[in-house]
Amino acid sequence: MKAVAAIGRKFLEVSDTVGGITLTMLRILRGVARLSFDRDETWLNLFKVGVKSYPIVIMTALFTGAIMVIQSGQYVKQTGATGLLGWGAGYAVLAEVGPVLIGLMFSGRVGANNTAELGTMKVTEQLDALRALAIDPMQHLVVPRFLAMVLMLLLLTALGDLFALIGGALTSQFILDVNWQVFFNGVFDSHLLPEYLVGLTKGVTFGASISVVSCFYGLGVSGGAAGVGRAVNNCVVTSAIGIFVWDYIITYIAN
Amino acid sequence: MRDDPIALQLPWLKPAIERMPDKPVVLRITGLTKWFGDVCVLDGIDLEMREGEVLGLIGPGGVGKTVLVKICCGLLEPDAGEIEILGQILSELKEKQRQLLRERVGLVFQNYALFDFMTVGENVAFPMRQRGGSSPEEIAAKVQERLSEVDLPKVGNLMPNELSGGMKKRVGLARANINDPELIFFDDPTAGLDPVTSSKIFHLIRKTQSHRNSTCLVISHDIDRMRPACDRYILLYEGKVHFSGNEGEAMRATDPIVCEFFRRDEGKK
Repeated sequence: MKAVAAIGRKFLEVSDTVGGITLTMLRILRGVARLSFDRDETWLNLFKVGVKSYPIVIMTALFTGAIMVIQSGQYVKQTGATGLLGWGAGYAVLAEVGPVLIGLMFSGRVGANNTAELGTMKVTEQLDALRALAIDPMQHLVVPRFLAMVLMLLLLTALGDLFALIGGALTSQFILDVNWQVFFNGVFDSHLLPEYLVGLTKGVTFGASISVVSCFYGLGVSGGAAGVGRAVNNCVVTSAIGIFVWDYIITYIAN
Repeated sequence: MRDDPIALQLPWLKPAIERMPDKPVVLRITGLTKWFGDVCVLDGIDLEMREGEVLGLIGPGGVGKTVLVKICCGLLEPDAGEIEILGQILSELKEKQRQLLRERVGLVFQNYALFDFMTVGENVAFPMRQRGGSSPEEIAAKVQERLSEVDLPKVGNLMPNELSGGMKKRVGLARANINDPELIFFDDPTAGLDPVTSSKIFHLIRKTQSHRNSTCLVISHDIDRMRPACDRYILLYEGKVHFSGNEGEAMRATDPIVCEFFRRDEGKK
């Protein structure tokens, strides 16, 4: 009986979370559709979310491309099919590994930070202060963050793809002794545009998913500093799950 | 209210409407009830405030004073009862209409609630900038005026974490006043402050009120220092209005709970 009760409680908890995230998403989309959001705050968030994330995304992407080339390099060298190196690394990076790893980095850096910021504002009554000053936190804080995260993760994914290919080319040149031009020829001759577009679609979707999840947990904080810590933890875990679920759905639809 | 058994025991418990009959009612609360789980925090509260009045809301900790203020500001929803603020029934307003009403109402939070990512000047300017219709020069001038009123003319460029508790309270006061609200709620504006700073804060509240003829509801435990600022007091006890009256009526009261709050010094003697 206790086990059934525990299962029931867990089911209600999960339903509560899923319902809350869905409602948050609908409220955000309504704000976007009505163009009712703070422009200045959106510009500020584009800077905070995007510009400050470039270094970590470039670093992640360079190593991702390099690792893909090293992984596939063993087989390529054995078979002598160096032309396939660019295709293999490019396919994996553009369609799958690049967006997913950049999304995970983004959720750890930006999503967690967003939850902590909103959560701290909640526990210090700054959100109530906004409402008391006749300012809707959704318009002023949440929708700008959503727009910034979606747009910036799209751009960061595009940038990350570029640097992942550069990382792959450098590795192929200096580690595998395969000319970088051969690597890039492999990438461009493989007509990877559909994979590239699928990857960008994933970037947009992951950005939306991370922003909605991080805002949901941030706005729902209760219980002081410990509550903020729990919310950040929940945000990172749920964002990661969201990334893999959306990755599965988009990959399934695209194929 | 007159049928209330406590009101019958305490003959000086009269509705405000009978005290200041010439002034319009700014805030009218009828039968306000709020539950948190199984606990009834506010149990059928009735109160009225007239224009230009400074009302001291007192009571033991956890009695629901802050909850009452938050409900009046639309930050919490009541379980029962009706609130009329500045002629508008709060429960009948949609969110957009509530926002417009909030522009006419100020709230100073117990723990400051200053935006920690903005400078002091930006904090004070924020409500005015969001409302729109003012040039940056007008906003800057008004911010300076409000900060000077609270004796902080030179802190505009500092961040909130560089200020002391008393300074933060005064900045909160300046921010709440920037749009010249008609009704201002002060949620324990002297909590954690030394006696001198507390007196200054209450002096500021009275000064602000008399300059703009705003109506103020002040929550505090510091009855001795809030006396010069308040026209009338409401004592909340066990979720109900236990006493409503001015200082003289409170001092003449024989009810032990009222005596406990207003004449503690005599009790000690």
